[in-house]
Amino acid sequence: MADDVTQPRIGVDEWVASVEGKRERYRGPVGWLRRGWDSSPPAARLLVFVVPAVIFPFVTSEGNLFRYGLITLLYALLGLGLNVTVGFAGLLDLGYIAFFGFGAYTYGYVASAHANHHWPAELAIPLAIAVAAAVGFIVGFPSRRLVGDYLAIVTLFFGQAFVVFVNNANRINFWPFNHTDLTGGANGLDNIDPLNVFGWKVNTTKEFYLFTLGAFLLVMIVLYFVSESRTGRAWKALREDPLAAEVMSMPVNRLKLMAFVFGAGIAGFAGAIYGSVQTGAFPGDYDIGLLITIYAIVILGGAGSLAGVIVGALIVNGVPELLRDSNQAEWLFYTALVILVLAKVRPWQKLVVVVGGTLGLGFALHAIADAWFPRWTAGQPNDGKLAHWVSHWMVLPSHATQLANWAYVLTIALILVLTLLHGWWRTIVFIPTIYVAAFAWENLLVENTAGATRFLLLGALLVVLMNVRPQGLFGTARVEIV
Amino acid sequence: MAAQRLLELHAVNKSFGGLACISELDLHVNEGEIVSVIGPNGAGKTTLFNLITGVYAPDDGEILLDGKSLVGLEPHEVTNRGVARTFQTLRLFLNMTVRENVMAVQYGKTKSTVFEAMLRLPRSRREERQIRKRAEEKLSFFGQRLVGYRWDQPAYSLSYANRRRLEIARAMATEPRILLLDEPAAGMNPAETHEITELIGQLRKEGGYTILVIEHDMHVVEGISDRVVALDHGVKIAEGSFDAVATDPRVIEAYLGLRKAETK
Amino acid sequence: MNWSLFWDLTVSGVTLGSVYALVALGYSMVYGILKLLNFAHGDVYMIGAFMGWFALHWLGGPVNPSVTAGLVVVFMFVFAMLACGGLGVVIERFAYRPLRNAPRIAPLISALGVSFFLQNSALLLFGANFRDYDTFDLIGAKTYNYKDIFLSVPQILTIVSAIGLMVGLTLLVARTKIGKAMRATSFDREAASMMGIDVDRVIASTFFIGSALAGAAGVMFGLVFGQIYHFMGFLAGLKGFTAAVIGGIGSIPGAMLGGLLVGLAESYATGYLPQGSTFQNLYVFALLIAIIIIRPQGLLGKADVNKV
Repeated sequence: MADDVTQPRIGVDEWVASVEGKRERYRGPVGWLRRGWDSSPPAARLLVFVVPAVIFPFVTSEGNLFRYGLITLLYALLGLGLNVTVGFAGLLDLGYIAFFGFGAYTYGYVASAHANHHWPAELAIPLAIAVAAAVGFIVGFPSRRLVGDYLAIVTLFFGQAFVVFVNNANRINFWPFNHTDLTGGANGLDNIDPLNVFGWKVNTTKEFYLFTLGAFLLVMIVLYFVSESRTGRAWKALREDPLAAEVMSMPVNRLKLMAFVFGAGIAGFAGAIYGSVQTGAFPGDYDIGLLITIYAIVILGGAGSLAGVIVGALIVNGVPELLRDSNQAEWLFYTALVILVLAKVRPWQKLVVVVGGTLGLGFALHAIADAWFPRWTAGQPNDGKLAHWVSHWMVLPSHATQLANWAYVLTIALILVLTLLHGWWRTIVFIPTIYVAAFAWENLLVENTAGATRFLLLGALLVVLMNVRPQGLFGTARVEIV
Repeated sequence: MAAQRLLELHAVNKSFGGLACISELDLHVNEGEIVSVIGPNGAGKTTLFNLITGVYAPDDGEILLDGKSLVGLEPHEVTNRGVARTFQTLRLFLNMTVRENVMAVQYGKTKSTVFEAMLRLPRSRREERQIRKRAEEKLSFFGQRLVGYRWDQPAYSLSYANRRRLEIARAMATEPRILLLDEPAAGMNPAETHEITELIGQLRKEGGYTILVIEHDMHVVEGISDRVVALDHGVKIAEGSFDAVATDPRVIEAYLGLRKAETK
Repeated sequence: MNWSLFWDLTVSGVTLGSVYALVALGYSMVYGILKLLNFAHGDVYMIGAFMGWFALHWLGGPVNPSVTAGLVVVFMFVFAMLACGGLGVVIERFAYRPLRNAPRIAPLISALGVSFFLQNSALLLFGANFRDYDTFDLIGAKTYNYKDIFLSVPQILTIVSAIGLMVGLTLLVARTKIGKAMRATSFDREAASMMGIDVDRVIASTFFIGSALAGAAGVMFGLVFGQIYHFMGFLAGLKGFTAAVIGGIGSIPGAMLGGLLVGLAESYATGYLPQGSTFQNLYVFALLIAIIIIRPQGLLGKADVNKV
């Protein structure tokens, strides 16, 4: 009973106590950081990001600034927009990249030799935003009365329709287009002008970086203001419970549409910058791969968290960029493996077994293969010191394609089995899992890091995150009471 | 009748797939009155609330607030006209803080656009301050139960009884003329039930609300009601003072199912 | 009116529609039971097409199969269906089951991840090139006709086996114990589990059946259109979705009808609408939008009642 004297705190029942018990407890340095982060004011948090971001272009090379700086910022900007639609309002927008494309194409159309317009950016960018937002309105409008699922289908199809459209819009021979070449077809629009903002020609990577940084900060601050306003709260409320929100004076359909359009507008903004950075808009750039990348950013960072978008973009863009170089990829893979083992295998007895077992298994197999099946160690290791070391431990057959394919499938199977096991069984299965995974990595995955590997890791990341930590890195764990 | 009729229902019908949930229902609530709706499970009580708040549209009949029709309005428009409700199956915004819950529902009371919010223009800032003040006002109504340190905790961390209180606070924050409370005492222990009974009285006295309440607990009904309406299978079977309704043979029959020999 | 063109379009529309209908069934069944859009379903279909191809080549390839052509085709179907069924069960077990009580958006994002994972795994394992079923080598290029209506062997095979599978499914859902359990579970999962139905098993069976149908659809596509590739699941999945929504998501006859409509719409668009062969997908999209505006619950779906 609430009035019982043995319970000093008013309003605490068993359920509350259990929730408080379950709530994440932070200890050690991580907890200290976390509490510090949570208690610092928004402006201070922003500085933590801004200071290194401003220093970065002055300490790095042009190429790194483009790959790790500019592209990350563009992705982060895209992430901010998606965060409004998915994170704040909880709408699954799978056509998001099309709005990005609309931005790029709009900017390209009014600022390139294609139609011989050369608008300055202060006019072209607002136009790009307006076009993307207007298209968002048109797409969102018929889906506005429907549950999230229909929106997902319509937008997914819309994203595909966009690609078909821009690929062929140069030769539509019926009304209202009648052969007007809007998009340059499969060749896209090229020679798009650099941004010309009130006379400032944004041309070099460094200038683009600084401009995008400014744009990102602007959008971030604006979004922070919105999230703390009546509209932002209403978005959060309708994500929690649309019916209660509707009954509690919030026009849910209008708010959903607004969030959708808002996200589309931000994507259009990012698209305009991107078109100018690339000096072109090409149909192939706006595919599902980019969509998944942006989703991974938002989800990894924590849907609804603005700070999370930055960290998500850094990781999701940065890690695959590192993977492009096979030597770096080697280091990255084995470092990740070691961290995983150290973090997940406890107590130390098991750790010893896993490390010893894995090393032993590798050297034993290598020795056996060396002695009896020379073909199995005849493969060439990749460049780099680490790959050379690893080749003493890992068998590298020549013509390994077939075998490596099976090893890949086996890796997945073993990882899935691993999630079902507990105790010592898990420890024991861990050993062959690591070895087979490393085998698949050495013989198959490492060669495709620029393409398939990168994307399948993103796909796996989404699944794993949803299962293990759906709130991402920066989100707060959500509670649902059924 | 001398008193001003605030909420009126005339011959309202609603059926789902041929099954009549509410039939030919007439009901009115006077300004400043507390009316209880009782009836066995499945009598159509919650459907009645859903009809009034616009979640369902009536098949026919008229629903008037202060003489103006509510039929055909979206739920949020109904709320803006001055009708607020709580839910039997608590529907708080669980992952928002207690304060945010009460702030969010003032959406309909404020005007500033998203563009004003983006730039923090004066009207937006002024409204923010108002929203916050009003939220704290409404929460303070519950005194010790929803005190300050809890305002920044997420709603899910509240106890069951406190969640019911928060739902009421949330409904109050839309500044309604009439409050619809759907089983406010459900799932509460006797002490809390007693407290709720007093609270409902206070709501009228200090808050000036007109209240329509669905309740199963007869002690609560007895303690608060000016007038009681009994429903069974969507039909009004009795109306009047608590004593009159509680002793009405048709009501007893509906609850105990003497003639039909069924308990539901 | 050019009747021969009309009949050609109709035949290819019905063939395509059969494939879409089988894909749509998987979406619809899973949606009916879990209220989950299984984005990975299109990729299961793609895997099915590849499994059929492997089965074909294990039996000696299209030119010199080690058994008769008929048996080869049967084996391709059986193998692809079993492999896909198994894949579906694995996906459900590891990507969706842990999320059954999570917020609605979580399994959707997980499904998106699975879809992308499968697509790129296929790219990694099978390469980026098209693979060819070489159906003509296997079962010849003979066509049958009734007046103006010409049907090739793979088309007949596709239509007949699709009808067979759908009849089988309908009987399974209507008559068998597991079918009853499925209907009960999709009606009210909690109540079903309280009545002693093993809900996990029912859901796994649903995934098995739905994915097996997608696998069969993949093989059919390979037989009729020849070429398969790792990205084929995306568009087919999209059309399958569209079919399921048009027919009324959650409804089994709706999925069949929707599939047929989408197939026919696509085919007629190719023949009759301006630049149809380029913009067929946009026309199907327009159809989807039109249906969603006019009849959001789909042709055979029931409108939901908001429970408060």
